[in-house]
Amino acid sequence: MATEYALEEVEKKETYSYWRMVFKRFRKHKLAMTGLVILVAIIITVIVGPLIWRVDPIAQLEGPYELLSPSRDHPFGTDDFARDVLARWFAGGKISLMIGFAAAVSATIIGAVVGLVAGYFGGVVDAILMRIVDILLCIPTFPLLIALASVLGKGVWQIILVIVVFGWMGDARLVRSVVLSLKEEQFTEAAKAIGVSPSRIMFIHFLPNVMAPIIVSTTLGIGSSIVYEASISFLGFGVQAPLASWGNMLQNAQQYIWNAPRLVWYPGLAIFITVLSFNFIGDGLRDAMDPKLYR
Amino acid sequence: MGNNELLLDLRNLQTYFFTDDGVVKAVDGMSFQIRKGEVLGLVGESGCGKSVASLSIIRLVDKPGKVVGGEIIFKGEDLLKKSEEEMRKIRGAEIGMIFQEPMTSLNPVYTIGNQIMEAILVHQDIGEEEAQKRSIELLKLVGIPEPERRFNQYPHELSGGMRQRAMIAMAMSSNPDLLISDEATTALDVTIQAQILELMKDLQKRTGMAVLFITHDLSLVAEMADIVAVAYTGKIVEYSDVRSVFKNPKHPYTFGLLRSVPSLVNEQRKVDLPAIEGMVPSPYHMPNGCHFHPRCPFATDVCRREMPELEEKLPSHYARCFHPVEVSKEVV
Amino acid sequence: MRNYLIRRTLQSIPIILGAMLVSFIILSLVSDPFAAMMENPKVKLADIERLRKAWGFDLPVYLRFFKWFGSVLTGNWGPSLLYPGYSAREIIFRALPITLQVMGLQFIFSLIVSIPLGIISAIKQYSKTDYTLTFFSFFGMSMPTFWFGLMMMLLFSVYLKRPSGASLLPPGGIITPGMESAPFLARLGDRIQYLILPVIVLSLNSIGSWVRYMRSFMLEVLHQDYLRTARAKGLPERRVIYKHALRNALIPIVTLIALSLPTIVSGASITEFVFNIPGMGQLILNAELKNDYPTAMIALTLSTVLVVIANFVADIVYSFIDPRIRYA
Repeated sequence: MATEYALEEVEKKETYSYWRMVFKRFRKHKLAMTGLVILVAIIITVIVGPLIWRVDPIAQLEGPYELLSPSRDHPFGTDDFARDVLARWFAGGKISLMIGFAAAVSATIIGAVVGLVAGYFGGVVDAILMRIVDILLCIPTFPLLIALASVLGKGVWQIILVIVVFGWMGDARLVRSVVLSLKEEQFTEAAKAIGVSPSRIMFIHFLPNVMAPIIVSTTLGIGSSIVYEASISFLGFGVQAPLASWGNMLQNAQQYIWNAPRLVWYPGLAIFITVLSFNFIGDGLRDAMDPKLYR
Repeated sequence: MGNNELLLDLRNLQTYFFTDDGVVKAVDGMSFQIRKGEVLGLVGESGCGKSVASLSIIRLVDKPGKVVGGEIIFKGEDLLKKSEEEMRKIRGAEIGMIFQEPMTSLNPVYTIGNQIMEAILVHQDIGEEEAQKRSIELLKLVGIPEPERRFNQYPHELSGGMRQRAMIAMAMSSNPDLLISDEATTALDVTIQAQILELMKDLQKRTGMAVLFITHDLSLVAEMADIVAVAYTGKIVEYSDVRSVFKNPKHPYTFGLLRSVPSLVNEQRKVDLPAIEGMVPSPYHMPNGCHFHPRCPFATDVCRREMPELEEKLPSHYARCFHPVEVSKEVV
Repeated sequence: MRNYLIRRTLQSIPIILGAMLVSFIILSLVSDPFAAMMENPKVKLADIERLRKAWGFDLPVYLRFFKWFGSVLTGNWGPSLLYPGYSAREIIFRALPITLQVMGLQFIFSLIVSIPLGIISAIKQYSKTDYTLTFFSFFGMSMPTFWFGLMMMLLFSVYLKRPSGASLLPPGGIITPGMESAPFLARLGDRIQYLILPVIVLSLNSIGSWVRYMRSFMLEVLHQDYLRTARAKGLPERRVIYKHALRNALIPIVTLIALSLPTIVSGASITEFVFNIPGMGQLILNAELKNDYPTAMIALTLSTVLVVIANFVADIVYSFIDPRIRYA
């Protein structure tokens, strides 16, 4: 057992200085830091906004208040159901970010587990899992997302599930390839030789090594999940009114684009900038974590 | 030394790398001369600046490296003052170069023939057909069997030794006056290594070209070179003809290196020399004084304070040391 | 080479089968296609019964899959529910060429734009040009396709007008009414007007990411030893880059582009929806929206087959660019 702990000690030490290095390099990455600042600003706005702007995002105003232009009472105007757009923008942002985050993290976890299992056990298990991945990667997912969404029903949790079902394959492939190369390395052999259990090898020894690519892909995954949510909701299969999301605020966009284009601008720009920030951060993390650059 | 014409005169070359963590003086005031038809062995451990020096000569140092000082007089003209276009006409035509890794030095997606022909066509005013004929002749010249078949093969279809032969054929394609061989045999098996050395020696004799032979292995120098220059931390520390250096090493570093060549030193002298201890200093933290002093068994206060000059210790035998090794000296 | 082709073909069969199975399962779960028909007074009960039998709805689910599979193979795809009176095959083969036009154009356009930009970005790494290109690639990658489509519509159809007062580019559709029987050149000009916006919108995403990939593959190649060899031979820098570096950088790009095809098909479906283009993507979405499940399944299967074929072609292209795997 002593040997095993010694192995872990060495890894821990290496891991520690590695993450310090990553942090240092990330801070130097201008685009990534810009992305981080913008993202934090968006998250704070979405959380703090409703505390200051205490207007019900769901309530429909009484009277002929549909599609009002921005004014003092309604800084972003009102939508086609006479709801305050600013309040919906705050509420929708919270939902969209939440969906993006939950979907990407869940997809990554599933992908990582599948990849670890496939890569570690190899053989039939690997063959079956990877064929499933191949198949799902060949089908144009968007039409299936829509179909699955209409099966599962329309709600926040269903949308997350739909995105996860078609979102884990890339991570599985990535983790599998890292595991396959780690399997050949000496510490795996050593750990196996002293009788460490497969699950321990997988989660204690492999997982830290696949952390870097996983973090990058999750970050980028949050961005694309937000776009997926928006696209599904735009088509009417996603988050349902009166609940707001940045995606479903665009649902009727095509109709009022002609007379109230601002309603297309607010949520769309928010989605775009948020996704842009995630992509900047992901790229910065990739650069900061790329072991090739140390050589 | 012979009274042949001077071909290459490297004067106080300085090539620095400007990295995020500071300036690395990879080559820091290196000087040596190569006459026509002469073979100079440039020896040193990895990191001593020998490869960077060779790349500086053909002006192919990668960023963030830069030649910041000195002169590289080739056939009487300073290469550092030439335009990129003039330089391009010298590379591959007047100065040929072969590199360490025959696996990665050839482009995997083009045939051997294509890559050799390209070298010919860019410098010589001949047609494709003629170039192809010449390429096959070159392949024959470097001892590749079935040259017509090899001509159409890709690098991955050839063994390491064959690839290095192909590299030599490419470097020889325009009959260069100077061939730079940067650790050309290091990555090869010992037997193949001997064959390639033999080939280079043979070609050198036949064509009369000069060779800058870069290696970390002194025993190869003994076989190949006329003159030896030993480099340490970007400077030449010992410089003389082969015989004198092997017989009478003056710098403790050379002395230590020679110890790793058993048949040459230990057998003859029967002395138990200390191995060179420690490691090459970090390029970011060069020691004061003589850069070798932390590893030197003879170091004294002056070595820690001052950098010695390259001085003539024996006739035509230069060393950069305050306490040159005496052959008779018994080392504890 | 022939063995390789045969093996590769055999390998794609289980993938197509698997994809059909997944499509079948998910679309079978979608509510009963007959429920809506039942409520339609115009449809006779006997007809529904006949359809139910034709599609194997009287059989257990797994047998229904085989029946459906058989009918896909024989080309007997049944009637379309979405467009009564037409067969699913007619509907699909009307939509397919339009989608192929849109995707083919976006593919060529994206390649022509992104490969040179990626090369420039890599050669001038860390320069102002590189930063600008990097910024715009991220811009393209991060843009939600449908929203960008809406914004482009807004720009070219609402804000920008021709002197006549008509919009600069048509906001959607695929043909100006009345142009159906116009001479070929006029029809071509008309079609181009309709395709400009969708193709640009659809290309933005792929250009963004392909520039990034091309840049990083190129950077990787630029550090290779054989480029130093090429320079040491005295080749001009242009030749070093465009002969020796480019060919090597293109190898991974081929795989990558093949892998991104499903994403492009997905993007195409929502772009077609936004611009009201009667292609496969819009057809699949509409078929799903209206419970025309047989048409949706066939269309989806066909898209998957196209992706598999494209992957297959990519592998062959790959083996031509990279001699190391030619006879593997």
